[in-house]
Amino acid sequence: MFRSFKMHAGLRCFLGVTVCGFSFLPALAQCPPRPQSATVVQDALSLYSQNGVLNASLALGHSIDAGGFTHFCYKYQQGTNTAEAPTLRLNQGDHLLLNITDDLSNPGAQSRSAMDMSAPSGATCGDGGPATLQSTNVHFHGLNVSPTCHSDDVLTTLIQPGTPGFQYDIQIPANEPPGLYWYHPHVHGFTEFQVNGGAAGALIVEGMEKYRPEVTGLTERVFVIRQQFLVPWVPGPFNLTLNFETTVPFEGPMPIIQMKQGEKQFWRVANATLQDFMPMQVWFDNVPQKLQLIALDGYPLAEPRSVETILLPPAGRAEFTVQAPPPNSYALFTILDYPTGPTGNPDTAQPLAVIQLSNAPAKSAAQAAAPNPPAPAQTSMPQASMPRASLPQTSMDHLKFAGLKNATPTTQRNLYFSEEFAGTNGPIQFYVTVDGQKQKVFDPNEKPMITTHVGAVEDWTIENRALETHAFHIHQIHFMILEVNGQPVANQDLRDTIEIPYWSGKGPYPSVKVRMDFRDPTIAGTFVFHCHILLHEDLGMMHKIQVLP
Amino acid sequence: MKICIRRWFCRGAAVLVCLSVATGFAAGASGPHYVVTNDDALYLNGVTFYTVGANGLLTLQQQVQTGLSGIAGGYFSANRVVVLDNESEECIYASNALTGEIVGINVSTLAVSGSAFGSTTDTGITNGVGLAVNAQYVYAGFSDFSTIGTFQVQPGCSLTFVNDISVSGLQGGVVSAIAIHGNILIVTYNDGSIESFNISSGTPVSNGDKQNSTGYLKSQGATYPNGIDITQDGHYAIFGDTSMTTSIEVSDISSGKLTKTVSYDLGGSINSSNMMLSPDETLLYIANTQGDRVTAAFFNASTGALSTGCTSGKLKNYVSSWSYLAALGLETTTGTGEVLYVAEYGAASGIAMLQVTSAGGTCALSELSGSPVADPNSPGLLSIGTFPPRSF
Repeated sequence: MFRSFKMHAGLRCFLGVTVCGFSFLPALAQCPPRPQSATVVQDALSLYSQNGVLNASLALGHSIDAGGFTHFCYKYQQGTNTAEAPTLRLNQGDHLLLNITDDLSNPGAQSRSAMDMSAPSGATCGDGGPATLQSTNVHFHGLNVSPTCHSDDVLTTLIQPGTPGFQYDIQIPANEPPGLYWYHPHVHGFTEFQVNGGAAGALIVEGMEKYRPEVTGLTERVFVIRQQFLVPWVPGPFNLTLNFETTVPFEGPMPIIQMKQGEKQFWRVANATLQDFMPMQVWFDNVPQKLQLIALDGYPLAEPRSVETILLPPAGRAEFTVQAPPPNSYALFTILDYPTGPTGNPDTAQPLAVIQLSNAPAKSAAQAAAPNPPAPAQTSMPQASMPRASLPQTSMDHLKFAGLKNATPTTQRNLYFSEEFAGTNGPIQFYVTVDGQKQKVFDPNEKPMITTHVGAVEDWTIENRALETHAFHIHQIHFMILEVNGQPVANQDLRDTIEIPYWSGKGPYPSVKVRMDFRDPTIAGTFVFHCHILLHEDLGMMHKIQVLP
Repeated sequence: MKICIRRWFCRGAAVLVCLSVATGFAAGASGPHYVVTNDDALYLNGVTFYTVGANGLLTLQQQVQTGLSGIAGGYFSANRVVVLDNESEECIYASNALTGEIVGINVSTLAVSGSAFGSTTDTGITNGVGLAVNAQYVYAGFSDFSTIGTFQVQPGCSLTFVNDISVSGLQGGVVSAIAIHGNILIVTYNDGSIESFNISSGTPVSNGDKQNSTGYLKSQGATYPNGIDITQDGHYAIFGDTSMTTSIEVSDISSGKLTKTVSYDLGGSINSSNMMLSPDETLLYIANTQGDRVTAAFFNASTGALSTGCTSGKLKNYVSSWSYLAALGLETTTGTGEVLYVAEYGAASGIAMLQVTSAGGTCALSELSGSPVADPNSPGLLSIGTFPPRSF
């Protein structure tokens, strides 16, 4: 869907400002101050599990900054200090007990639910009530866990402002792939608003070094790239941020990533933007460097892969090693232009940060603010290092989805993305459709579009019949990439989000064939698949799938 | 080459002979000749008048302000400005989407002569207010609550509100565009369905023919009618489809009701929400709304059949100045219309001007060197009209 101002000038802006209004956001400074531009990028505060449990409380708040950008924030309270969007760190088999409270209270707020949203009827989890901009919930993106209440459920869970809160109790499977995941709100119709404001954080399942010993002992960096439009839902100016530090779309003062001379670091990067497809590179003196790709979407690769460019769709993650630049070189962490099609968003190239050599690692702002780590969660050391002990490499054969390549698919399905423009207000319909079924937008009360059973292995061919690239995502599982445009891929990676290239308007529809793994009984239940361009998701490019026990 | 020869011939020494044919008698040698816009401005809206030069090029003359306010967007096919030209009245009617006000402008004075509001639900904040006009009434399709208002034309281009009716598509869609011919009013809804109404008594009364279009059904909902045109004899209704291709549908309405549409995929470029028949009904001009060009298809007025014609090159300043193509207009009221005008929607809105040539079963659409002309009054131009209008 278009995001450029030129494409959207007019009605959406007009409606957004004058009809929906943004007066729902009182100018309270609920969110912690964000780092200044052109300073050293700090990792977020890390919260570690202890004795198999990570018990933490986050509150969702909001504020408006001096530039007029609306912030939504996950606040973690450390005494009198507040850290934003901490990184949650757990081990395989741990429990995550995450209490979420909703501080978006504003009785006078105007709900968009009156316009085009409706709360699901029937079973509810949490506070229930209408789905509005003030309500929230959490999706644990990429985790291969149960979709039921108190776990990774986005269909029935609603947390309302002014209530005691809601506790998620998530069992991380013992065979969960180690890697980078992330958490964000997922209230249908309002996800974009809250993620736009920055409500997103990293979640790491520890143990990557057991499967990919190449990262043993390396300094670890966790980078979350977010996107903030000046006014949610309304086209216009926006920024990308790197760990909340604003980037600039030109080579001016920019965030600084520090490395020691000769050092190799392990970077874990999450694309938490609303809609940007990001081909990432690291440049030394304008020359792209080789990166050792370790994992994608939280799943370690069978072998490290040497690449210059790593494409992350919205919600995608990449973990890779980066060699420090030589002295006196000009080094950048940057993203390239990405063509999203005739009606797609203009995803333009821009540097994210300059990489500078330093022998003095910067202190984490969060760490500096919290000299005495409070209970119950153990907080981080700044810029943690991967464990240094040299361990024998653990086989990946016991991880989830092992053996999927050779599994026999029980069902073949065809799905497609499509969209329609009847006026200037963007496509008026966003569809993801199971071929043969009627195109329709998501309805919270709809029956599942797909029903399958635990034990099933299915091959899905997902076409894009729209004139812009979409990002397919399914909750609860990863899938294996088999083919792109009918051609087998060289790397059958396991992903949870994948770009489906745009259709040019003629010729065959672009497609991606993936293998879905429903063998694990813990994911039995009803969950969703959708486009992870969040506006598309909010407008209905989503449907339910039910996995029967 | 054909174009150059033609221009030299028509616009050179023999210009007087050519002009008498090319501009048509309807325009008259001394009568006003305008292209008009609904600027759809976010605050103080207005209608901008362009004079039509002998070569078909437009020159901005003035804006007549119509009040509060437009929305700078909405449905491509909703005609926000319509022209009434008969023996007693020469009027421009324009809608203000925010308030739902319909404003009449007297062409002879270029001044607002009156306006009228419908009921409280008759507004077009979401997607605009499309109009259709005959000698007695102005009909307005209000997109917010999907109502059709009937306004009676009063002397001097003023209006009085008669009443409104609620309408909806088969899937609950709202009114996108309306068009009238004789006693029939045709509506497209934004859900793939269409419907006709009898307006012999003024207020529309459904003909009971609401139906999903063939294109909509064939595409499982990915294509649906948006713009409407009706042949001079009232035999066929033509629908420009919102589609990822150039898709047109034709319904035989000779019975006074809609019949199942025949769907045509005509190649060309992306989306075909706006289209317009040439005065001689040999060509159907199609704005490739989401693309960067214009397509013409050959139309057989006897059978209602369409066949592939020609497509222009990429129009100037696509993306850099404008993003969508929308309403169409023609320089003359005879033949092919000579010069085709196309509204360009964007940060720098304007009107593209294309020379039409058609002979021997081939056609060409070539953007003129002076094209486009800017509309500095519009933050998002979608609707244009011509005075004098095409005769049907």
